[in-house]
Amino acid sequence: IAGVLPTGVGLEYMEAVGRERILAHEQSLLAYANERLAEWDDLRVIGTAPGKAGVISFVIDGIHPHDMGTILDMEGVAVRVGHHCTQPLMERFDVPATVRASFGLYNDRADVDALVDGLHKVKSLLG
Amino acid sequence: MTELSALYQAVVLDHNRAPRNRHEVQPHDGEADGNNPLCGDWVHVEFRLDPAGCIEDIGFNGEGCAISTASASIMTEVLKGRTLDEARRIGERFQHLVTDREAPLAAADDPDLEKLLALAGVRDYPMRVKCATLAWHTLQAAIEAPASADSE
Repeated sequence: IAGVLPTGVGLEYMEAVGRERILAHEQSLLAYANERLAEWDDLRVIGTAPGKAGVISFVIDGIHPHDMGTILDMEGVAVRVGHHCTQPLMERFDVPATVRASFGLYNDRADVDALVDGLHKVKSLLG
Repeated sequence: MTELSALYQAVVLDHNRAPRNRHEVQPHDGEADGNNPLCGDWVHVEFRLDPAGCIEDIGFNGEGCAISTASASIMTEVLKGRTLDEARRIGERFQHLVTDREAPLAAADDPDLEKLLALAGVRDYPMRVKCATLAWHTLQAAIEAPASADSE
């Protein structure tokens, strides 16, 4: 029951904000992230299906995702790195792992900017 | 939280950019493969002994993050000229260095081992310890299962 009650409160909160607005917010952050990350020639976005959720997975030539994850973490940016429980997909794309940033209603454009700044740090160290 | 530069020290970055002894050793007296299935890292280690039983040549190949690549590279540099017993002892010492926050950050007794200290920052990142120890565990396997026991 301790898990059910907060879920209810969370759902009420989401419904109060409005699912349409949350979706629109996430999609606008995704579009902004795609735009910012497009500035990097050696960055490859994995997963570009239209209408996908507000997540962006990517790799950078010559830099292992686990190094990126550690450095981004130290820069205050939380991303997930690894196989994301999809090892066959990693093989399909011929990548050792990916970095994945997710956007929610609690994120804003400044978070995307922080991700890009963090990636500059990654490149200055390991690029 | 330690500084970024404590984990990614200049020595580590240098060995990642230009790994040493990334080559085959033919013929060899020992070899082994090592994997970190969770992160997809792999490494292959080979070595040859001279008549006195010291490591005459040691090389590696593999794929992994900066920490694992640098660790394999530094390992091969440090172990050239050592006996297998010494290699095993140095490996234990390294394990201690990257897992025990109290382990001394000095190698006054054996200055050649100072290079290993560059990886000591890993001790503050439990998730990355496996990256640093992969090559060493693989070497351990190569010592225990010499090439003569392997048909390849």
